[in-house]
Amino acid sequence: MNLTNPPKYSRRLLRWLISEDLFDDVDGDLTELFHDNIEAHGLAKAKSRYFITVLLSFRNIHLRRKLKYFNPLVMYKNYLKISFRNLSKYKGYSFINIFGLALGMASCLLILLFVNNELSFDGFHEKKSNIYRLDEVQTFGAVSAQKVALSMYPMGPNLLNDYPEIVNFTRYWTMGRTLIEVENKQHYFKNAVRVDTSFLEMFDFPLIRGNKEEAFQDLGDVLISESNAKRLFGDADPIGQLIDLPTDDFKFKVTGVFEDVPDNSHLQFDALISLRAWDDERRQNGWGGNYLNTYVQLANNVDIEALEAKFDDFLVRYMDEEALEYYELFLQPLSDVHLGSMDITHDYNNHKKFAQSSVKVFLILAFFVLLIASINFMNLSTARAATRSREVGVRKSIGAFKTQITGQFMVESVLLTLISLLVALGLCFASIKSLTNIIDRDLSLMLFFEPINLGIILGVTIIIGLMSGVYPALFMARFNTVSALKGSGGAGNKSLFRNVLVVFQYAVAIAIIIGTTVATRQLNFMQNLDLGFEKELTVVMNMFSDTNEKYDILTTELKNQPNVVDVTATTQRLGNNLHQTSMQYRADTALIEGSSSFVAVDYNFMDFYDMEMIEGRELNKDFAMDVAGRSFIVNETLAKELSASGSEVLGMPFSFGGEDTLGTVVGVVKDFNYNKLNLKVEPLFISRQEWGWSEVNVKIEGDNITAALQEIQNVWSTLFPQRPFEYEFLDDHIDQMYQSEQQLTKVISVLSGLAIVIASLGLFGLASFTVRQRLKEMGIRKVLGASVGQIVMILSKKFTFLVLIAFIIAVPITYYLMDGWLDSYTYKITIGAVVFLIVGLGSWLMALATVSFQSLRVAKSNPVETLRIE
Amino acid sequence: MKGIHLGEFEELVLLAVATLGENAYAVSIQAELQDRVERFANVSAIHTALYRMEDKGFVESSRGGATAKRGGKNKRLFKVTNHGLSMLRESKQTRESFWNVLPNLLQESKGIRESFWSSFQQIPTSK
Repeated sequence: MNLTNPPKYSRRLLRWLISEDLFDDVDGDLTELFHDNIEAHGLAKAKSRYFITVLLSFRNIHLRRKLKYFNPLVMYKNYLKISFRNLSKYKGYSFINIFGLALGMASCLLILLFVNNELSFDGFHEKKSNIYRLDEVQTFGAVSAQKVALSMYPMGPNLLNDYPEIVNFTRYWTMGRTLIEVENKQHYFKNAVRVDTSFLEMFDFPLIRGNKEEAFQDLGDVLISESNAKRLFGDADPIGQLIDLPTDDFKFKVTGVFEDVPDNSHLQFDALISLRAWDDERRQNGWGGNYLNTYVQLANNVDIEALEAKFDDFLVRYMDEEALEYYELFLQPLSDVHLGSMDITHDYNNHKKFAQSSVKVFLILAFFVLLIASINFMNLSTARAATRSREVGVRKSIGAFKTQITGQFMVESVLLTLISLLVALGLCFASIKSLTNIIDRDLSLMLFFEPINLGIILGVTIIIGLMSGVYPALFMARFNTVSALKGSGGAGNKSLFRNVLVVFQYAVAIAIIIGTTVATRQLNFMQNLDLGFEKELTVVMNMFSDTNEKYDILTTELKNQPNVVDVTATTQRLGNNLHQTSMQYRADTALIEGSSSFVAVDYNFMDFYDMEMIEGRELNKDFAMDVAGRSFIVNETLAKELSASGSEVLGMPFSFGGEDTLGTVVGVVKDFNYNKLNLKVEPLFISRQEWGWSEVNVKIEGDNITAALQEIQNVWSTLFPQRPFEYEFLDDHIDQMYQSEQQLTKVISVLSGLAIVIASLGLFGLASFTVRQRLKEMGIRKVLGASVGQIVMILSKKFTFLVLIAFIIAVPITYYLMDGWLDSYTYKITIGAVVFLIVGLGSWLMALATVSFQSLRVAKSNPVETLRIE
Repeated sequence: MKGIHLGEFEELVLLAVATLGENAYAVSIQAELQDRVERFANVSAIHTALYRMEDKGFVESSRGGATAKRGGKNKRLFKVTNHGLSMLRESKQTRESFWNVLPNLLQESKGIRESFWSSFQQIPTSK
């Protein structure tokens, strides 16, 4: 007779409801009834009745159930005890396991800290979502279109007037280092800024003294930072104190003190001065002059694109039709200013600006390092499972359920990750100082201990523990009790899964290392590239209106010093984007308008910087035209543009500001890279003008730099006792352009180092377990006459193969990614096969060394020792 | 007194066990209750009663009589113990001691009822 079985799930429910002693009886009764019901009422009804009866059996849930005095705490205690015993029994592996994961966690935590700091920039302004920076796209003739952070003086007020969408604006016009006098004593403001009175309405820089409404009420009001207040006035009340601005002949009264600007603000200033003191009609109509930043505050829910579309009309209305050829306005959200301004030039007020893409690179790297570390952890735990097969066997034969074994190993794994977290936090504390130095950020570890963050960290740690614990736990629970007791750890030797993990780990590590190598080489390449001028041993000092009066004496005096080679002056420092201006030139008969970068320099500038002249001559004070500022030297790029019509460049009539500047081109200088090397050289012309220099450049002897500096200082202090001596080295200044890249490569180098260390730690642990498992085999081989070399070979073969596969996977991916990255640079290295080969070989050797360390020990051991173990 | 208490449903089940003799187990008891007193009880309720009474010592059980229909499981066959029988008897006597005084009461109540109804019948109806 073929009988239908009662519904499976209902029956399972019954088993769960009824005490085990009763189950057989009750199950039999219910099954009989079920079959009776099928005959009487059909299958469907029988099933539902069966189910109802099962549900009703709930009333018997306590019937004949023996009270079990089950105290799980005892078992948990045992789990913990065994865990720690195992940790201390295999100290080496425990160390590798915990330390490897801790390294990964620590680097991940620190990177998240850094990323968090980056994202926190300008986040403390309440109106941040409505504040935008007004930027321009400038297109001047031969100069390619570029985004600039500058805007014009009259733009702000007129925008506010014309567009209801804009509810407030402030201009931000920096004065840079500013000489001030307090009670006839000289001081500096590090960065005094002229702003509109609305500045504090839009931005939340809290005031300690004074209040926002009354600050800037009067023309001569100034707000100073807390530290300035201490520095200038000590304990005296700063409010109402007078500050002299000798260069502009203004007197200011302190009306407020603001908290020092936090590091995570893109605007950095230590004094705010009302811009009204500089307001005049000429400035109010100063369309075309871009020298300050403008921030606007929009009403809620304004359509940005629609507003930006209206700006073309705005420009035409106040300037002319032609303005659109040169200018286009756009709004940059405040939240984008810090991370999204890498393509914006003339961005002078953007403290520690950073590339969004780098933040992403960091995040991706952090993730992968953590992933490698977690995989390591998982691999080692699984490998160690083999050595604990006997424990599992005993537990199972005593009566442990599968779930208990799984649970035990999961808990153990979570416990280990928690220990790792502690170690990781320790590592963070140990390394935070050097990290903040490298990346020049003010990071606080205390952020980790805020409840939410701590919760997230713990949560993620536990998840890592569970995730990396689940495979080994299931793997262990699957052990056959009998063979586990015998000590042969199941199918532990040939785990495809484990090998895949090792390959993946190594592939990621190799990819990171190749990427870092390429990036570092590119950066070194750029820094050592011939810029077209000599940047070494050059001291630059700022000039001011008062120091310019004695420029001639200064140069003569400086040149008399034994350690000074040469002195020159310029209006703009090399190693920046140079300002553009309009220019006119006559080719054939046509007068052509254009625009180009321009820098005014002293006569010996080309000679000073060792620039190569291609045609014509350098500037020379023996030529009257040169003295009058009517001789021009153009760079190759501009020369190409000038000669496009076929006219001779030398002797071409050329001017940059109307008839009174009309002169001729007298020379062509070889292109030199005055800007960042990922940008191509823009057209440039050079002449000497009597405008006053903004800085003096001094070339010094290389043998005695300190002496040279001392000499310069003596000359400077004698001539300008009112000005403290301050200087910078030009090569430092140029290196600063690559600061963001340098920080990136430094951090990434450390990370990639960590990645390979962690991966190797994992391999080391894994190798030692494999070796341990094959101890006896090796013993037999040795007895039969295998040499040490042969045994090492046998053991290392597999790992070599794994690393090779990892290498083959990593190479094309890395090549593709790095090639894309290099495309953003004008001057770039080619990724040679050499890099790949070296890294591949390196990681193979590293893996080999790791494995050999273990296998050599076995190979050298006495076979009697290994064979004796049973 | 809880230990020796015999509930109404328990008494029915106990009686059924007694009547069924050798073949008293939950399913047959359910059928017996259905046939004899037309009382449908879910088998889980019968289980409760049976096992409780076993704990109280009214019935004793043994296993046997597995069939394919039962999925190969043995029946739990119950038998009334002496203690169970005396319990049944005691219960019957208790009831009878009540019934012995009941006839007088019944007649009295019948008389009251009749005089009550007759008073209604004397009320003239409007039609």
